[in-house]
Parts: sequence; structure tokens; C-alpha cells
Amino acid sequence: MIESAHALTLTDRRDRRFGWLMASPSLALLFLVILFPVFWAFYTSLHDYTLISPNFDTFTGSANFIKAAEDGQFRHSLWLTTFFVVAVVLLEFLLGFLVALALNKVERFKAIYYAILLCPLLMNPVIVGLIWRMFLHPNLGIVNYLLSVVGIAPVNWLGSTKIAIWTVIMVDIWHQVSFMIVLLLAGLSALPREPYEAARVDGASPLQCFWRITVPLMRPVIIVTLLIRLIFAVKTYDLIYIMTRGGPGISTDFISYFIYRTAFVSLNIGEASAMSIILLGIILALTVYLYRYMRSLT
Amino acid sequence: MKRLARSIAPHLVLVVFSAIIVLPLLWVVRVSLTDKLTAYKIPPEIGSIGSMNYSAIFTSYPFTTWFFNSLIVALITTMIALPLATALAYVFARWNTGGVALRLGVLASQMLPPIILVLPLFAMFLMAGLMQSRISLIIAHLTICLPFLSWMLVSFFEGDVARLEEAARVDGATRWQAFIKIAVPVAAPGLLAAGLLGFILSWNEFLFALVLSGPDTQTLPVGLAGLETHAGVEIAPLAAATVVSLLPVFLLLPFLRKHLIKGLSLGALK
Repeated sequence: MIESAHALTLTDRRDRRFGWLMASPSLALLFLVILFPVFWAFYTSLHDYTLISPNFDTFTGSANFIKAAEDGQFRHSLWLTTFFVVAVVLLEFLLGFLVALALNKVERFKAIYYAILLCPLLMNPVIVGLIWRMFLHPNLGIVNYLLSVVGIAPVNWLGSTKIAIWTVIMVDIWHQVSFMIVLLLAGLSALPREPYEAARVDGASPLQCFWRITVPLMRPVIIVTLLIRLIFAVKTYDLIYIMTRGGPGISTDFISYFIYRTAFVSLNIGEASAMSIILLGIILALTVYLYRYMRSLT
Repeated sequence: MKRLARSIAPHLVLVVFSAIIVLPLLWVVRVSLTDKLTAYKIPPEIGSIGSMNYSAIFTSYPFTTWFFNSLIVALITTMIALPLATALAYVFARWNTGGVALRLGVLASQMLPPIILVLPLFAMFLMAGLMQSRISLIIAHLTICLPFLSWMLVSFFEGDVARLEEAARVDGATRWQAFIKIAVPVAAPGLLAAGLLGFILSWNEFLFALVLSGPDTQTLPVGLAGLETHAGVEIAPLAAATVVSLLPVFLLLPFLRKHLIKGLSLGALK
């Protein structure tokens, strides 16, 4: 008895050693290319480090952080990114859920619909931005022409400070809504049939079935889908770079693009690093919170 | 009547939605087949149709170089990331190596916006003299692919595979043999899908490639983005380049469809 317990711990220890051995190349690489750079960014954020004088000679402590926090444009870009993320996640979810429900209902042509909706998902964001810039050109674009055919005045899609952000949101929806559809459809097709049959016997309407059965059963899938989409939406950079360069003015100046400008246009790496660290803090807090939340559901 | 309406309504939604997706893509194909002047005509004209834009992108622009750079970077990134991620995902699934903290760390690195990493990587490559090299791009793309693939692959090693391995271990196989001869072959379709997704991630990556590449090492997205700014709006060749750069990704699609959900959801949905 004692001997078998001893043998178990020995196997355990060997398992553990083998586990670490197999993990070590990946962990070493992750340490080198992710953890070390993050520390470097933190160290740089405490110094007056610019691309004109790239050295750590002047220690400035929290000066870069204070400067960033007091920078109205930085706060503006954080707020704008939050607005964009909430808008695209919600709109893509609503539209995605509608399409996923429709797709779950049909049998004929399902494979064709599915193949079509996968197309934008695999497209490069740069290409999506380029083709939509082409379509949305105020004079030469096909969209304004089609609008004129049905008697609507041309819209300055990317040149107006009020409209540009909504144009970016629309293009992002076109590009990314399929992500929601694919995941939600996977959830819908895995739902059990019995509750619906029981509800039908009891005379429930389709709407009642949806709110009382589909939504509650889909809750975990919905939450995971929203979370993953949210994480990716925060990173949005390519679309902005291609379509608006943060403009007109600073009306689409998302956080990633603003930090990029601070680093490579203003050449102030120290301040840009401080902003990165603030962004990192926000993302980490969000990750830990969301992870706990997800675990509490399962 | 009401039943008929109910069976048609979903198709109506899907047809409208599919049209919104397909029509812009068809329009790009159409523009790619017209000559430069016709491409700008509003209202649109049919004009002459031909493949001149497709030959133009290969002769007037360094399209071949961009294509080749993207291919090399994406292939090598995947070849490095896939075995490493497989090993990491396996030990996560089998022995929970490093516990929740390590898993959370790998997940968190997947959430990092690339803009946070691009500054330090830029400075590090500058110091190491690796700026504008393909190596720097491969290293940068590993920061995206390695955590992504690790997370995606964990779920492929959970479940029945563990029991098969135990049986093999009882028969005297070593841990390494159980991994390489049983776990890997059983999870092979998943590994293939993960490899394809890793390839696409690298193929489509823009920010790292923009900052770290030089004139000779530009990848396709960076080249296309530059094409647009330098030549004004040369939409006809741009459309042709768009069509060509979409081809590899769509060719991979059939191999990927079955496992796409695991890839997209980082294995969080099973």
C-alpha cells in the first residue's frame, strides 16, 4: 500500500518533469518574444527615449505616464476605441444571431450560404479596407452612384468627421460579422431537440421558444463569442491605417493608431511605451475579469 | 400561408445577407478585368474585358517579391509555431503543466494588441541589426501564432486520446512514444487545421510587417497598402492584386472548414 503510494508520486513527479521538458522550448520562446519585450516597454516608459536619441540616459520616472494621462488626444482615442468596440460587438452580435438563426432553420442551399459567409472572414483586413475605400470614393465610388440611382444625395463616407467612424464600423461589420455567425451557428446546431418538442406540445409560440429556451441554453456560447470578438476588436488597426489614417482630424484615431503615431511620427518611443503599458494594464484587468467570469459560468 | 411565410423568411434573410457579401467581391473581380479608364467610369460601362491588369501587376509592380516574402514568412512561422504549440498544448491538456497561471499567461499574450509588442521588437531588432529582415518578421509573427495555436490545440488532446495513451503506457511505451505515436496521429486533422490557420494569421498580418519590413522584405499586405498611396487610386491593378492575394487563402478553405470553429474560438467552444 505504502509502496504503491510512493510509486504514484514518483510517476507524478516524472510526468511533471516531462511536461515541463516538453513545454520549455515554447515557454523560452514566449519569454523571449513576448515577456521580455513587455518588460522592455515598461523600462523604456520610465525613460526619455526617442528615436532621435535612442538611449536610456535620462530617467524620467512617471513623467511619461503623467504626460499620457493628461493628453486629451490619448484619452480621446481610448474613449473612441471603447465606443467602436462596443458598437461593433453589439451590432455584429445582433446581425450575426439573426443570420445564424436563419441558417439553422434552412436545409436547402445551406452549404452555399455558409461558403459565402466564410469569404470575408478569411480576407486580409488591408484588402477589405482597400476595396471599400474604392467603393466609397465620394465621386468615383460605386456606392454613391447606386445611391444616386435611387435618388439619395451622395454621402462623404470617409471625409466627414461625423460619418467616418460609422463607415469604419459598417466595414468592420461586413468583414467580421461572419465570425459571430460561425460560432453562434455551432452553438445553435448543438442544442438539444427535446425542450422544443415539449414546448410545442404545451402550445408555446416560436417567440416564446426563442426567449425561454434558445436564449438561456445559448448563454455560454453567446458569452464566449462576445468575449473573443471583443478581444480582437480592441486590436483594430489595419482598417484605420488603410481607410482613414485616424482622420478626418482625429475622428477615427483609435488607440493602436494613436500609439503608432506617437512612436513613429512624433518619434517619442518613451511616451508611446507609457501609453502601451496603460493599454496593457487595461487589457490584463479585462482578461483576468473575463476569465473569472467565464469560469464561474461552467 | 403562414407556414409558407415561415419557411421562406430565413431564405430571404440569407439571400439578402449573401448578396451584401458577394456583390462587392464580384465587383472587385469585374474591376480587375477592365482597363484603367473603364474602371473609373461612373455610371459604369462594360468596356473592354481582359486580363491586362493581371499581367500588369507582375510586370509593373514588385508583386512577385511581395507574394514570395509573404509565402516564406508564413511558411517558416507555421513550421516553427506548429510543433512548439503542439507540445505546449499537449502538456496543458495532459498534466496541466504550470497550472492555471501559465494557461492564463498564454491566453493573455493572445490578447495583447500587437502595437504593444511592436515598439520593443522594433528597438530590439534595431539593436541586433535585424531590421528589415525576414527573420524579424518571422519572430514577430511567432508572437501571434504560438499562443493562438497553443490555445486552439489544447482541446484536440482532451478526451479519448488520453485513454489510448494510458493503454500504450501499460504496454511499455514511454511518455514520448505515447505522445509521438498516439496523441499526434490521433490529433493530426486538428494539427493540420491549426497549421493552416497559423499560415493565414501570418499571411494576413499587417502591423508588424509594416514596421519591421524593408523595401525587399515587404509582404503582400504592406505592398498593397503602399500601392494605394503611391499611385493614387489605381483601382484596376489593385483589384487584380486583391483577387490574386485572396487565392491562397480560399484554396485552403476546404481543408479548414471542419475545424474552423475550434480555431476561431481558441478551442473555447467545442
